[in-house]
Amino acid sequence: MQEVCPMNEYIFALLALIAILGAVSVYFKRSPFDKLIGLAVMMGGAIPLIVMKGYIDVAILVAIIMPLTSIFILQATGRNSDDA
Amino acid sequence: MEDTGMIPVYICGIVALYAVLRVLTEKQTLRKLVFLNVMNFAITGLIVLSIPDIMSLFAGIAYFVGSTLESNAIASTYAGGVPNE
Repeated sequence: MQEVCPMNEYIFALLALIAILGAVSVYFKRSPFDKLIGLAVMMGGAIPLIVMKGYIDVAILVAIIMPLTSIFILQATGRNSDDA
Repeated sequence: MEDTGMIPVYICGIVALYAVLRVLTEKQTLRKLVFLNVMNFAITGLIVLSIPDIMSLFAGIAYFVGSTLESNAIASTYAGGVPNE
């Protein structure tokens, strides 16, 4: 069993903390734009964990699909669609 | 320290955590987006420095392009976007 990555446990703990803070931000914020920003923070914490595990192709697919979902949500519930 | 090769990784991690804390504590949405871009830079550095493999470079490119598109889409929609008549 070779060593997958040279990272130590501090970087793993820091990335997990970033992902948890993003999820908490999605739960507690009121504005939908703040919720989308929290979602981006959460995926920014989750994608390096996928890369450090070794599944780089999965990380490339997630990094391509994640902004597409955010753009679709923005087109569905944009600011200029209903009120302004 | 036991290894001097870990210093850039630590710097990227500290910058990412500081940017996340600034995102969570800002009041205005446009100021949040500035520090979201800072976090994207730091996370891209962490992805590229993580594994000594050439495929991590492509993962970093994909994440950087995608996250920049997402941030600009959120900012453009928040600022008004293209007006529909």
